[in-house]
Amino acid sequence: MLQGALAGLAAGGLYAVLAVCLTLMSRLVRVVNFAQSATGMFGCYVAVFLSVQFGLPTWLATVAGILLGGSLSALLGWIVSTWLAEADTGTRSAVTVAVLLLLISLSFILFGNKPQPFHPILDGPAFTAGGVVISQVTVVTVVLAVLVALASRLVLTRTSAGVELRALSERPTTAELLGIPAKRLSVAVWAVTGVISTLVISIVAPSQSNDATSLAMLVVPAAAAALLGGFRRLDLAVAGGLVLGLIQGAAAQVDGLSVVRYFLPFGVIVALLLWSQRKEVWDAAR
Amino acid sequence: MRLVDRSLPFAVAVVAIAAGYALSIGLDGYFVYLGMSAIVAGISLLGLGVVTGSAGMISLCQLTFGAVGAWVVSALNAAEAPGGFLVWLLLGGIAAGLVGVLVGLPALRLRGINLAVVTLGLAAAADLTLVQLQFPGVADGLSVERPDAFTDDRSYFLLAVVVLVLCCLAVHYLRRGRWGSGWQAVAFSERGTAAAGASVRTSKLTAFAVSATLGGISGGLLTGQVGLAFPASFTAIQSLALYVLAIMSGAHLIDMAVLGAVLWVGVPELLKRWGVPQDWGFVVFGLLGIQALTSGGNLGTAVRQLWYRRSREPATLALAAGTTSAEPVTPGAPVLVVRGLSVRFGEVVALSSVDIEVPEHGVLGVIGPNGAGKSTLVDAITGFLPNAEGRVELDGRPLTGSPAKRARSGLRRTFQQDRVPPGLTVEAYLRFVARRRVSTAEIAEALDFFGCPAARIPLSQVDVGARRLVEVVGHLLARPRVLLLDEPAAGLPHSEHVAFGERLRQVPARFGVSVLLIEHDLDLVRSVCDTVTVLDFGRVLAAGPQAGVLADPAVLKAYMGETELL
Repeated sequence: MLQGALAGLAAGGLYAVLAVCLTLMSRLVRVVNFAQSATGMFGCYVAVFLSVQFGLPTWLATVAGILLGGSLSALLGWIVSTWLAEADTGTRSAVTVAVLLLLISLSFILFGNKPQPFHPILDGPAFTAGGVVISQVTVVTVVLAVLVALASRLVLTRTSAGVELRALSERPTTAELLGIPAKRLSVAVWAVTGVISTLVISIVAPSQSNDATSLAMLVVPAAAAALLGGFRRLDLAVAGGLVLGLIQGAAAQVDGLSVVRYFLPFGVIVALLLWSQRKEVWDAAR
Repeated sequence: MRLVDRSLPFAVAVVAIAAGYALSIGLDGYFVYLGMSAIVAGISLLGLGVVTGSAGMISLCQLTFGAVGAWVVSALNAAEAPGGFLVWLLLGGIAAGLVGVLVGLPALRLRGINLAVVTLGLAAAADLTLVQLQFPGVADGLSVERPDAFTDDRSYFLLAVVVLVLCCLAVHYLRRGRWGSGWQAVAFSERGTAAAGASVRTSKLTAFAVSATLGGISGGLLTGQVGLAFPASFTAIQSLALYVLAIMSGAHLIDMAVLGAVLWVGVPELLKRWGVPQDWGFVVFGLLGIQALTSGGNLGTAVRQLWYRRSREPATLALAAGTTSAEPVTPGAPVLVVRGLSVRFGEVVALSSVDIEVPEHGVLGVIGPNGAGKSTLVDAITGFLPNAEGRVELDGRPLTGSPAKRARSGLRRTFQQDRVPPGLTVEAYLRFVARRRVSTAEIAEALDFFGCPAARIPLSQVDVGARRLVEVVGHLLARPRVLLLDEPAAGLPHSEHVAFGERLRQVPARFGVSVLLIEHDLDLVRSVCDTVTVLDFGRVLAAGPQAGVLADPAVLKAYMGETELL
């Protein structure tokens, strides 16, 4: 159980990073980006393609992939903030559902539907604790999750750009009237989350099932983790991601739970969410 | 006209079945098979149109319901259950409908994007589970038996057409009935739905149940088509694609659901013929979906606009002063009695120990400056604030429970905000709000009395001020004991306030309804109300016959400030 749980922690860190990205997007640009991990997947695939076809060194290809992931995300952000500036969260998010579909299909067309021959960026164990081996990937993803959450918090509370972003998210029109460059800031948020998700997927993909669909659908457990914080709280998003990874890893070790384990984390999240939203009887405040 | 209205759907159904028969004998065998796939997708889309198009909830697990239907059909086939394929198909639909209700339960508290995430999570989990378990009977290669009369592809295609037509008819009548109005209402405003005495819970769950049932039938039909069910037909990705297609085509319209299904099968097929990889199909859908979302329209609305070339002029009110007046009725004993009503929001006391009486056949005005607690009063009386303290009695009986329950007991309200669902016609909305059988003549007369647009006009083409009067008319047609009106004249030009006031004056006599009127326009209050209660900072400042209250110095001070009195 413990070995399994700790093995699941690598995935947990990945979920946590993505959950932080989703929460940031939801808070700052009013969108739940269903294409969050698909953009990362696409960036990684391009990186693999560059290193296999053009013989680029792994690190350079990875950097190129990360930049591409960021630009893809920025492009999407530009589309959403240009044409759907005033639309509600649901419509803005529905666009990203279409983008998720588009990116999966594009990767099938360009790279086929087989898992890619990834070169691991990080490999091997970091240390052994109590007879259980912790891999480098696990350490890096968990640290990255915490770092990204802390950095986001610092930026939002301590810098003028952060204050502008918060103003923009709470009162977009007022913020624009105050002269805050709404579109530029929104696109920047999209770009940053694109970069972060491509980076973390680049780290984890070599050691996960890495076909396009699996990687793109990582957004599901990540969204489940972000739901724990109600798409508002970064700390709960990180905790949710890590716990989800631990539970899944532990459940994978138990034969009786083999089928249930897919539903288990989700059931828990739904239950928590229903509890936290139990007073939300009406759709509008008045 | 009515006869045409009533028989038209059946005529279309007969033509559709005839066309299906012609296609089943005329088409090439390969196209017959493709046609089956299109029909299966069409039924699924039809279901998605109900939950997403009509009821406005994002559901990303439509094919999971299909998998439930396929599972039931496969299991019954493997168990050699009695009844044959058609019975299994029906059972599969029912089973999927039950699962749909389960999925719909979280929707009672989760909305919008939270619900989308939950449904996508379910789709992904079901996807993984199916791959691990596989459908029953597949391992032994037990092919599902089609019904005896429809064993070959051509006749099975005809059967599929008949099932599709039946599903379309069912959806058509459901959408025109109470359920359909409930879906549209809940999509626009839950509070408005509850205020009309309809249950938000029922509306949401029926939308999910109907949608899932159709999904299940589609999955069962697919199993009969292919013989064996495979998880690859029910992936989460395809559920997403179906959702995008529903958004793009406007699947809440029956013809568009069918057209969407033709695209679903036709686009990949065309690509195949042009030697393009089929994956481009989803790229096309994705791009079209993004286009539809960013432009805020869809194929359905675009086609209909071309077809009707409707004028884009919104319908307005035609209120003129000087109507035939009904004999006024003298107000009687109090029908609505409120005692000691208090509402707190944290440390803020919004209402403090308010007493109010609405006399039978009377009009009570409630006035007060902004923030005095007038709307809070209406919210509390009608049950939207369960934490309110105090007693509310209607006809001498205590009134408690949910807003829907109070609305059914004869206490209705309107809202300050626009809570009229634009997806319905005026008539459908009135019938929905009235909650009783009303004749067409009665509707026309009531609309005419308030100068509202005609019954057949869609509410989306009615301007906001007129829309709020349509809301008033609907609640009057429900014949409640008391109607609480929250600034009904706010959307009207000032010139029409007088005409509106004249009509409001006659409401007790004409409709037998007592009225509590919240209004800022003191001229309107003067011309309509017998008694007035003044609120200030959540307390009753003055109450009694109109003339005395409006002349009270304390009231003038609250309204005008000190200086006005000098």
